[in-house]
Amino acid sequence: MAGEPVTDTSTTSRREQWFGWFDGSLFTLCLGSLVIVIAGGLIQVSFGAFSMTILEAWQAVFNPEVILNRRAWEAFLLGGEVPEMNKRSLIVWNIRLPRVFVGILVGMNLAVSGAIFQAVTRNELASPFILGVSSGAGLTILLTLVVFSGLTAFLPLIASVGGAVAFLIVYAIAWKNGTSPVRLVLAGVIVGTVFGSLQTAFFFFADDIGVVQSAIAWTTGSLTGTDWEQVRMALPWTVVAMLLALVSSRQLNVLLLGESTAQSLGMSVEKVRFALSGVAVLAAAASIAVAGIVGFVGLIVPHMVRSVVGSDYKKLVIGCLFAGPALMVAADVGARLALNPVQIPVGIVTGLVGGPYFLYLMRKQQTMGEI
Amino acid sequence: MAWDRSSRPAGGRGTTVDRTDPRRNGRRSDGDRETGAGTETPASEFRGEELVVGYPSADEPVIDGESLRVPPGEVTALVGPNGSGKSTLLKGLADQLGLDAGRVLLDGADVQSLEAKELARKLGLLSQENTSPESVPVEKLVEHGRYPHRGFFDGLSAADREAIDRAISLAGVEHLRGREVGSLSGGQKQLVWIAMILAQETDVLLLDEPTTFLDLHHQLEVMGIVETLRDDSDVTVVLVLHDIDQAARYADHVVALKDGAIYARGPPEEVVTEGLLAEVFEIDAEVELTERGPRIVPLRPRHGNVTAERGEPPGPEQ
Repeated sequence: MAGEPVTDTSTTSRREQWFGWFDGSLFTLCLGSLVIVIAGGLIQVSFGAFSMTILEAWQAVFNPEVILNRRAWEAFLLGGEVPEMNKRSLIVWNIRLPRVFVGILVGMNLAVSGAIFQAVTRNELASPFILGVSSGAGLTILLTLVVFSGLTAFLPLIASVGGAVAFLIVYAIAWKNGTSPVRLVLAGVIVGTVFGSLQTAFFFFADDIGVVQSAIAWTTGSLTGTDWEQVRMALPWTVVAMLLALVSSRQLNVLLLGESTAQSLGMSVEKVRFALSGVAVLAAAASIAVAGIVGFVGLIVPHMVRSVVGSDYKKLVIGCLFAGPALMVAADVGARLALNPVQIPVGIVTGLVGGPYFLYLMRKQQTMGEI
Repeated sequence: MAWDRSSRPAGGRGTTVDRTDPRRNGRRSDGDRETGAGTETPASEFRGEELVVGYPSADEPVIDGESLRVPPGEVTALVGPNGSGKSTLLKGLADQLGLDAGRVLLDGADVQSLEAKELARKLGLLSQENTSPESVPVEKLVEHGRYPHRGFFDGLSAADREAIDRAISLAGVEHLRGREVGSLSGGQKQLVWIAMILAQETDVLLLDEPTTFLDLHHQLEVMGIVETLRDDSDVTVVLVLHDIDQAARYADHVVALKDGAIYARGPPEEVVTEGLLAEVFEIDAEVELTERGPRIVPLRPRHGNVTAERGEPPGPEQ
C-alpha cells in the first residue's frame, strides 16, 4: 500500500515558493526584455536623418513639457493638433517614438497569438499565420493594390478582414462533427497554398515597381512610416486581445492535456478552441493592420519564452508580452539603420535574426518542440 | 480527510479473512436491490440503457444494445479479451463517444442533457493514455482536476485547495508534489493522473485500464486507491481491467464482455469461472476460490475445437 513518507511541514512553504507563478526565471526574462526594448528604443530615437546623442535623445524623450502635457497625449492617442514643443522633442515624440510603440504592440500581438495557436493546434510549429490568416491577408493586400487601387486607404482594415475571413474558411473546411488540431492545420495548409498561388498571380500582373515594393513591404511586414495613427489603430484591439489571453491561460493549460482529458474535465473543447483562435486572430489582425505580415516573431518568441519559463501558459503569455516587443524593437533597429538610408522591411530582419536563434535552440535542447 | 489512507481501518478485502464479512455482504445486498441506495446511502445511481456505441470511422457499432446498471458506491470491473468493447463501453458511459442509441442516466438525469462542467462535477474519467507538457509540476496537474468546479475568472478557493490536498494524499503522491511530471516514472505518472481525477471529487469514477503497463508495486498502489474509495467513500467506481485476477480480487461486481456483448455479470465468485474463461477469454485455466476471491491460474490458450480434439477439456482436474 501507500507506505510513502507523509509530508513534513517544510513542504508547504517550499510549495508556495515553487508555485508562486511569478518566479525568478520569468522575472529575469521580463527584465531582460524590458532592457532590450528601452535600449532599442533609445537607439531608434537617437539615429536617423537628424542625429542626436543618446543623452539628447534621452532628454527629448523625458521632456516634462511633453510627458506631463495632457494636450500632447490627447493629440497622440486621440488624434488632433500636436502642441508646441522643441524640435528634438517633436522629432522624437512625433516621428521616431510612435514607430517604437507600434513595434512593441506588434511584437506583443504576434508572440501571444503564436503562443495561443501552439496550444490550440497542440503543434509546436504553429504560428499566428498557421490557420490561413497570413495568406488571406496577403491575398487581399495584393487584390487591393493591384486591382482595387482606389481602396488603398482602407488597406489595413482590408488586410485584417481578409485574414479573419481566411481563418473562418479554414475552420469551415476543417469542421466535420467538430474539428481536430490535425485537421485544422491541414485545412490551413490547403487554404494557404491556394491563396498563396493567387497572391503570386497578382504579383505577376502588377505593372508598377512601386506597387510591387509596396506589396512586398506589406506581405513581409514593415514598420516604415508608422505613426501615432497606427498606435491608435492597434492599441485598443491589443489591449482587448492581451487581456483575454491572460484570463484564458488556464483554458490553454487544460487544452494542452489533450482533447479527451479536457472534455472529461468539463471543458466544451470546440467552443473554447474557437474562442481562443478568435482571440489569436484578433491579435494577429491588429498587427497586420499596422505592420503587414511580419513572419517568425509569432513562431520563435513563444519557443524562446517556453525554454526559459516552462509551459505554464500564465507565465508564457506574460513572458511573450515582454519578449515579443524585445525581438520586434531590436529587429526594427536593424531594419531602419543597418542599410541607412535605405530601410528594409522588418520582416526580413526578424527572419534573419530569428532563424539562427531557432537553430541554436534546436541544437541546444533535447526537448525542443515539446509543448 | 475522509479518505486518508493511513487512517483507514484494516478491514479492506486484502486483509479480510472471511468472505462473509457482514459489512461487505450488507453492502452488496443493498447494492443488488434495484433502488440500491437504501435510506442512508447517498451514492450515485449510474446506469446505461440499451447502449449502442461505435466509432465514427466504422459502420458497425462496437456495443450493440447493452444495458448496464452499476451498483452505487461499489466497484464494478469490466473484463474481456482485446477488442471485446470494454473501453468503448466505458467511453460511451462517460459521454466521450456519442451514443448511436440508448441513454446513460446519472441520478436519473440523461448525461447528454447535462452541461459539460456539471457532468464533470459528477463523473470523472481516467483515459488509457494521458499526455501533459513535461514541465508541469505535479501539483499544477492535480489542480486541473478542479476545472469543473471553477468559473472562468475564479482563482483557487480554500475548498479547491483542500480537495487538491485530499486527492494528493489519497493517491499517495505527497512526495512528488513539487516534481515535474516529465521526470516521473510511468507508475508515478499514473498515480498523479489518478490524483487529478480524484481532485475532481465526482460521485462516479470511470477508470480505463488503470493498471496496464504498470509494475506490480504501482498496480497495487492503484488498486489500493480503488479499495479505499470503496471502503471509505460513496464513490461509485467502474474500471476496465485487463488482469482478470485483479478484477476478481478487488471488484464487488464483474461484467464480462465478449464481442461487444455482455456475456456475464455478477459477483466475482459467480462470474469468474473456468467455463467463462474458456468461453470469453478462450483459455484453459484453473480457478481456485481463496479468501481474496477467485484466483486464476491460466494454463493454455484454447484454439476452438483443436483443444477439444486433443482431449484436454477444461475441467477442475489435476
